[in-house]
Amino acid sequence: MKRLGLVLACLVACSAAAQGARLPAEAVDAFHAALRNKDTAAALSLLDRGLVVYEFGGVDPTAEAYALNHLPFDMDLAVASQWKLETRRVGGEGNERWVLSTYRVNGKQADGTPIDQVTLETVILRRSGGLFRIVHFHWSTSDAGFQARSQGQRTQGAAPR
Amino acid sequence: MRFATRLAAAVLGSGIAFAQAGHDDVVRVDPALKRLAGMITALGEPDAEGRIYSFRGTPIGPPASTPKEYPPGELRGWRLTFLAGQRFSAAFEVQANTAAEITVSAADGPLNGIAVRDVFIVEEIELKR
Repeated sequence: MKRLGLVLACLVACSAAAQGARLPAEAVDAFHAALRNKDTAAALSLLDRGLVVYEFGGVDPTAEAYALNHLPFDMDLAVASQWKLETRRVGGEGNERWVLSTYRVNGKQADGTPIDQVTLETVILRRSGGLFRIVHFHWSTSDAGFQARSQGQRTQGAAPR
Repeated sequence: MRFATRLAAAVLGSGIAFAQAGHDDVVRVDPALKRLAGMITALGEPDAEGRIYSFRGTPIGPPASTPKEYPPGELRGWRLTFLAGQRFSAAFEVQANTAAEITVSAADGPLNGIAVRDVFIVEEIELKR
């Protein structure tokens, strides 16, 4: 009986943490808001456990890998910059949807160098239990030089397998 | 690279362990929070009701910036969030810590469901309830 109580308590706690969103674009905006608010749990709760991230030429093949490898930096960047939504298209049907957004990103790096670029974002979402969660991010930039530097750094920084 | 870090990368299916490359290296911004990632190495003893509020863990991450153990007592009040495992995205408040053991506040419920090799992050910020 105690064990049943514990399982129920865990399920209640787990479901309380889960968020998702009723509309696909709301899930995307909520994710960015969570990063800006330094709310790791809220950001994670908007991710499907099957998440795959393509980010400036790199791949995070699991939600867990993204959460550990890159979510902290994305949070740092979100706090240090302003993301202004410039364009958005939403499509798909049923439980599979996509949201395409472009953002003007402005801010300052740690050394004072300005950040000023357009970030391109593709998000694929899946609805489960009435809520949309993110199954794929693809971020890139219209700044060809930045994209090239990112991919060059990633190639040089790859650990041997 | 430390064994625990390599193991965590393998567990998470990450081909590039704790990448410091990509846009992370091209854009350098100040950290929004002090943070330390870690991996569970053993579960704490359950109380009489079977509830677990502690575990043993080891820091993981880039060797140059990752301590070998947690600074005793310094994580009190920090937010702990699970990045893998059954409790993925669940957050707790650290009540106390030693070099290798972390205890969370009972206010957020027990840790039951966590497992050895689960990965977590502790961040210097108050847990919002």
